Amino acid sequence: MSAVVATKKRRRRLRHDWAWMAAFVVPAALLVVAVQFYPLLFSAYLSTQDWTLTSSQSSEGFVGLQNFAKVLRNDVFQRAVRNSALITGTAVVLEMILGTGLAYLAVGSSRIIRAVRTLLILPLVIAPVAAGTLWRMMLNSQMGLTNYLLGFLGIQGPDWLGNADWALVSVIIVDVWMTTPFVLLVVLAGLSSIPDELHESAALDGASRWKSFIYIDVPLMAPLLLLTFLFRMLESLLSLDSIYTLTLGGPGYATFTMTYYIYTLGLRSFNLGMAAAASWLFMSFATLALLMVFWLQRRWQTAQ
Amino acid sequence: MSGGSFTKVIQRSLRLLALAIACLVVLVPLGYLLLNSVKPQNEMYTIPPIIFPSHITFEHFEAAFNNPRTLRFLTNSLTVTGITTAVTVVVSTMAAYGLSRMGLRASVLSLIVFVFLFIRFYPRITTVIPYFLVMRQLALLDTVWAVIIGHLGITIPFVTWLMLIVFQDLPREVEEAAEVDGASPLQRFGLVALPMAAPGVASAAILTAFLSWNEFLIASSVTKRQAQVLSIAVASFVTDRGVQWGPMAAMAVIMIVPMILFALFVQRYLIRGITLGAVKG
Repeated sequence: MSAVVATKKRRRRLRHDWAWMAAFVVPAALLVVAVQFYPLLFSAYLSTQDWTLTSSQSSEGFVGLQNFAKVLRNDVFQRAVRNSALITGTAVVLEMILGTGLAYLAVGSSRIIRAVRTLLILPLVIAPVAAGTLWRMMLNSQMGLTNYLLGFLGIQGPDWLGNADWALVSVIIVDVWMTTPFVLLVVLAGLSSIPDELHESAALDGASRWKSFIYIDVPLMAPLLLLTFLFRMLESLLSLDSIYTLTLGGPGYATFTMTYYIYTLGLRSFNLGMAAAASWLFMSFATLALLMVFWLQRRWQTAQ
Repeated sequence: MSGGSFTKVIQRSLRLLALAIACLVVLVPLGYLLLNSVKPQNEMYTIPPIIFPSHITFEHFEAAFNNPRTLRFLTNSLTVTGITTAVTVVVSTMAAYGLSRMGLRASVLSLIVFVFLFIRFYPRITTVIPYFLVMRQLALLDTVWAVIIGHLGITIPFVTWLMLIVFQDLPREVEEAAEVDGASPLQRFGLVALPMAAPGVASAAILTAFLSWNEFLIASSVTKRQAQVLSIAVASFVTDRGVQWGPMAAMAVIMIVPMILFALFVQRYLIRGITLGAVKG
């Protein structure tokens, strides 16, 4: 009886409340429009303009899609796309494997395991610029710790940051070092949501640890793992800070990624038109990946 | 000892060994950074390298703090992080509460969630240049406000999204009871919903602080001298001609050690915040 009254009363108050709730949303909405949507539209406009800030204080006119054509034909852009695909592809796969493996090893509530977990997530809170700086010293071929330690194993370490191929490997190492803990945390959270009874009854039926991983954990966590993979892929593609302090895109253009290429185009050469065009090419790809993330989340939520 | 428990002991040792290696991979680079920040200049560039310094020196830290610019980097970083966090938490918590209690249709709400996701993951570099031009127009270039507003543009949608998840998970009964008792919308928000959402608010605030403190791209694009923050100070050593490992390591330590200590202190909230977005969505 009182429930019915409450429902009625809520309905009656709803319209009055709506104004209040909308007022709560307004400040955030204004800020998002001013700082996100307006610059986005501005950037779409810039992509059609011939404007290099170092030679002119205002745009030198509409050039249609010429900026896009110039970017697509640019050697450095093509190399940056390849580098991005290589770095992100390799790094994210390694992070998923290592993060999932470590999560399984780090399950538990004993003191040692808890302390281990605390240590393992430290790279997540370190500024990427500082992580890049730190690995710049670690990977110095002559004076760095990495090659010094490899020397004890009788291995002559490579010229990590000076050789084009090894520089790409270095960027991957730093990405893996920084963000494997993220995968670890998400998988740990996913594991804790799987009921223990499932594993117990599987063990009673004689299933090995490996079998219960393949037949219980993987299917149950598949949406989460896929989502984590996509999150990591997007974040890795967008990362700039650690590459900036680790290699500055070098040697030469060896570690130019899409983000780094757009950064130098826009904020070093101040070619605003081309930078905006490159951004929108990059954006169309990121949006596709995002739509996938979104679709997965919805599907997963309705499945639960 | 039976065969079964023997393999168990082996398994346990292997597990601890693997975890120990993982911990070393995390700790050794951090330890190396610390050692370099207290290593005397003449032991820095030897081949083969001297890993453990013969004595500990604080000359790099002294040099850093004798430079008035370092103090400015530090106060700018603190100002930017403090204001960004405070404004984000207030504005986003209110917005998330409003969105979750407006009775929006599910399709509208998922569209809004998509916008939040989009803002979090589209290539930030796209808006950095237009943002730079806008700040130039407003004569805000090289002020902390340009950095703060830029950070708010990232943190407000992100935290609103997180808090939306938190508020949607809260039981409505208490709020409905308060409503029947005549509580105004403001009272229901401040006195009923907010205390229940407090752990979520703490996670959101902590994540915002880390994001703002560590951010580099926006800060580097809208500042020149006056408003530079620690991330730029750390990055600036890269372009210097000579190798300056001591000062570079000291500056990195100044930037990351407070955050590591903070992270240890608030670990539980931090982890909850990091996993919330990924697990719940």
